[in-house]
Amino acid sequence: MLEEKISEINSGFNQDIVTIKDQKQLEELRIKYFSRNGLVSQLFNELKNASKEEKPVLGKSLNTLRNDLTARFDSLKVKLEISKEKEEDKIDLSLPGTRRIIGSRHLITQTLDEIKTIFKGLGFSVVGGPELESDYNNFGALNFPPNHPARDMQDTFFITEDFLLRTHTSPVQIRVMEKYKPPIRVIMPGLCYRNEAISSRSYCVFHQVEGLYVDTDVTFAELKGTLVSFAQQFYGEGLKYRFRPSFFPFTEPSAEMDITCFLCHGKGCRVCKHSGWLEILGCGMVDPNVFDNVNIDHEKYTGYAFGMGIERTALLKYGIDDIRIFFENDFRFLRQF
Amino acid sequence: MKVSLNWLKDYIDLKGIPSNDIVERLTMSGLEVEDVVDETAIYKDFIVAYVKEKKKHPNADKLSLCTVNTGTEDLQVICGAPNVEAGQKVVFAPIGTLIPKGNFKITKAKIRGVESYGMICAEDELDLSDDHSGIMVLDEKVSVGKSIADELSLNDTIMEIAITPNRPDALSHIGVARDLAAIYNKEFKLPWFKLQESSHKVKDFASVEIEDTENCPRYTAMVVRNVKVKESPEWLKNRLTKIGLRPINNVVDITNFVMYELGQPLHAFDLDRLAGHKIIVKSTEVESTFKTLDSKERKLPAGTLIICDGEKPVAIAGVMGGENSEISNSTKNILIESAFFNPASVRRTSKRLGLSTEASYRFERWVDPSGTLPAAERTAQLIAELGEGEILNGVIDVYPEKIIEKEVPLRFERIKRVLGYSIPNEKVISILKRLGLKVKFESEKEYRFSVPTYRSDIEREIDLIEEIARINGYDNIPTISKISISLGEKVDESSFVDQTREIACVLGFYEMLNNPLQGEDLTEITGNRIQVLNPQSIDMAYLRTSLIPGALTAVAKNINVGEKNLKLFEIGNVFNLNPDKEKIESFYDFTEVQKLVFILTGKENEKTWQQQEKLFDIYSLKGIVDSYLLRLSLDKAAADSYYHNEETIYDLYFTKSYKGKILGTGGRIKKELLKQFDIPQDVFCFEFDLNLLRSIKPEQRKYKEPLKYPKSTRDLAFVFEKSVTYEQVIKFIWQMSSELLKSVRIFDLFENPSLGKSKKSMAFSLEYYSEERTLTEEEIEKEFSKLISEVTKKFNATLRGT
Ligand SMILES: [Zn+2]
Repeated sequence: MLEEKISEINSGFNQDIVTIKDQKQLEELRIKYFSRNGLVSQLFNELKNASKEEKPVLGKSLNTLRNDLTARFDSLKVKLEISKEKEEDKIDLSLPGTRRIIGSRHLITQTLDEIKTIFKGLGFSVVGGPELESDYNNFGALNFPPNHPARDMQDTFFITEDFLLRTHTSPVQIRVMEKYKPPIRVIMPGLCYRNEAISSRSYCVFHQVEGLYVDTDVTFAELKGTLVSFAQQFYGEGLKYRFRPSFFPFTEPSAEMDITCFLCHGKGCRVCKHSGWLEILGCGMVDPNVFDNVNIDHEKYTGYAFGMGIERTALLKYGIDDIRIFFENDFRFLRQF
Repeated sequence: MKVSLNWLKDYIDLKGIPSNDIVERLTMSGLEVEDVVDETAIYKDFIVAYVKEKKKHPNADKLSLCTVNTGTEDLQVICGAPNVEAGQKVVFAPIGTLIPKGNFKITKAKIRGVESYGMICAEDELDLSDDHSGIMVLDEKVSVGKSIADELSLNDTIMEIAITPNRPDALSHIGVARDLAAIYNKEFKLPWFKLQESSHKVKDFASVEIEDTENCPRYTAMVVRNVKVKESPEWLKNRLTKIGLRPINNVVDITNFVMYELGQPLHAFDLDRLAGHKIIVKSTEVESTFKTLDSKERKLPAGTLIICDGEKPVAIAGVMGGENSEISNSTKNILIESAFFNPASVRRTSKRLGLSTEASYRFERWVDPSGTLPAAERTAQLIAELGEGEILNGVIDVYPEKIIEKEVPLRFERIKRVLGYSIPNEKVISILKRLGLKVKFESEKEYRFSVPTYRSDIEREIDLIEEIARINGYDNIPTISKISISLGEKVDESSFVDQTREIACVLGFYEMLNNPLQGEDLTEITGNRIQVLNPQSIDMAYLRTSLIPGALTAVAKNINVGEKNLKLFEIGNVFNLNPDKEKIESFYDFTEVQKLVFILTGKENEKTWQQQEKLFDIYSLKGIVDSYLLRLSLDKAAADSYYHNEETIYDLYFTKSYKGKILGTGGRIKKELLKQFDIPQDVFCFEFDLNLLRSIKPEQRKYKEPLKYPKSTRDLAFVFEKSVTYEQVIKFIWQMSSELLKSVRIFDLFENPSLGKSKKSMAFSLEYYSEERTLTEEEIEKEFSKLISEVTKKFNATLRGT
């Protein structure tokens, strides 16, 4: 008899407990089972009527039942209380968090860093040099004859007759080749100066990255391969490119590298002056005269050099139409990148 | 340089080759075509039309209502030009034509209520000139209904070619044609003409003498007599206008034409205005003045190469002729100068005078010394033909030391060594031959070539390799996809600066870049500045001596546009002349140092729903400086010093130093300086010397085991005299405590009348622990009470009730 009731109450409780949704129902459940006249207490009362032999066994089952039901009741109670708390706490998660401001590198630095990372991956070291240079390092050693029109390609700020503000990063090539012996594989980023009228396309200072590789068997083919790899990493895979003959006194043969204009995809637009091509860098094989000037045997060694303007690169990449913005330090610009 | 494709065709057969292919191939062989004007494409839709009738527009006084015959139909057209008349042949743009000026399409239009089916054009609308005074009235001979591209020979392709300084030989139509001949492997022919000389000998009428043969190695002269100076014929004017030159008269036009044809600058003197009919080439010995043919009085420094007659200077050699011997309409007898001047000499003169001409541009780059004679003959023949003159017999050609052709060797294996691929020997030889080089010696492995005198840029083997590479096409050089890297030591000199940038960003700073060229007002604040010899403007006449003026300028500009809360940094070089120097003569006379500046102003944080607003103060700056050094592991190395009101740009500032060297200085910018920049709020900045900072080897950090024993903290507050500084107290606390004290932090600071007059309260939180054991209450209590009694005694302070 009693055993049947135990299992009845057990299954009844199982059915009841799943319907409990709030405190009120929970209280009703407590009263139904655990109050003084509740179903569990009633069973304990009935135990008195059981025979001596049955009592220990039934008593044990009854205790198990009570412990079991109480445990389940308690856990439900806790669960309901937690949900009650959440409701009461009223945290408005839509309020803004406390932000920490993290600054940023200048867009020119970011572009430079990107270029640096690519060339470091290709085994290049990174070296710097001074901005106030000697005329010899900036021109003479780089095979610009004195009083030669080639100098007109780079309008120069002079400090004295023999010192000037470097017009390109190429003098660092001279410094590197004077200091190290081949193999030399370096890039040389830095600030340069040109005495050019300031406009939306040109400013009196700008950044360049120069590259130099000197070894016993460096060829134009390797120059092409390296720069194409760079361009694909920097501007994206699958771009079209071309190398066009050009002239720099310190390289021979010299070239300029163009890539398909990524704004018009080669159809021609304002930015590429309707040619479909964008010039991205100048390069060439190190001129034997330059090797002679730094006492590197030009029969034994060959080398390539390249250089690119960072401002121009960033203008193209980020769609900026006025170069002066890089040096205005307008906070509204700096914050964008 | 502008080059006409039709003109080029006088020297090379380009039939069947589309102009865009020519443009492409020129560019890809080193003569970069920067711009192309394809006249046929522009003008093909414009047709010659006939004005049949002209009436007044019913609703507008200044407009005419014309009936225009296009050869196929009559159209009603409204025209606003004052010169339109019935019976004229005109340029007509039918509906749908694109007008070059303004780039718009002609549509059917209703003008003041009357419909118009096209436009009668003026020269400016066709981009032929700026003339908008009236419509173009065409010659009777042109045929109605035909395109003006043919009828007005507007069928040329004009290329703007950028000639690099190494290619003066390409500064002419002949030069470009010569490259095209090599590119397309075609015949190339010089202009053919037959010189018709009179029986009078030129030597009887003029003479030439060179005093300075170094600067004038060759002077060729010819004389044409009884010339009629007049307007040039159409073909000549057409050649010149196509390349952007304004026709003047036949003589001037011919010298221009021959210069653009052959590359040789020429000058025509009025022979009768040359005293003694004499030419003397010499360099001036003293400074003098000279009036050039543009009527400008010019100062000639001593050593300027000039052309004189028997009495006086008549031209600045290679640059510009003089007014005193210029050709005029009444000129009859002409002496033609065709010379070769030393490029450096002409360049020097041109630079000194600030006068660059088409002639000086060519001379300073190199003109062909062998070309003076053919150019003189070509000019003489054309002047004789177009000016009905008489060429005197013979040439005066003073050429004391002939410039001979250079010989340059070429090893075939070297081509592969430099370019990375092989080109068959026959092809190599053929390319060089087509460029005008001649084989002087041949063997299996090596050839020797003679180089024509117009190619001054070819002197060495590598120059030959370049010619081969560019004519064979850079596209044919393989692009290899595998490189080898030597495993030597790699350096990255930028890594320290990169680390600095990263820390600055994490500290909330944005990077700026300022122009290192600054004006007087900015550079006089700090340092011993270096001046630029040829500045662009007075605002950029000096190199910065510090990053701070630039940073302040940036702050001022931003505040001006409403950006008042700023945290900026910059890394850049600053330049100072050594104090004992007046002028830079070597790298030891000045310093170029890389610096870092932090600058802050405005609010550290805005008021939010959680936080109070906070302004930047000197302690924000100190904290940033310390955090930066901590991140570099230099916090222990650098020592602080504090100052009030002593230096020029700060009213209070502090320094960081290491072994007696100042690593950096910073503080609150003085009010007077802020006023100079128009900055209405406090600005804090700190400038580090990165060269010094980089040179300090930071202590290698070692791992420390996390603490196993509990820490004990004690808080206490003292009331001090106001004059007692935090630093004095903290130093003393450290000094008198045992090693059980591990940290001291000031957590409260205030002044209040209740504390007493000129008193302040400082509260400290102290942390005690040992790495070896748990401290007992008694031990800590002992330390703590010792500290209280010592501090109160030392500073005459009182402990505040806790
Ligand atoms: Zn484009």
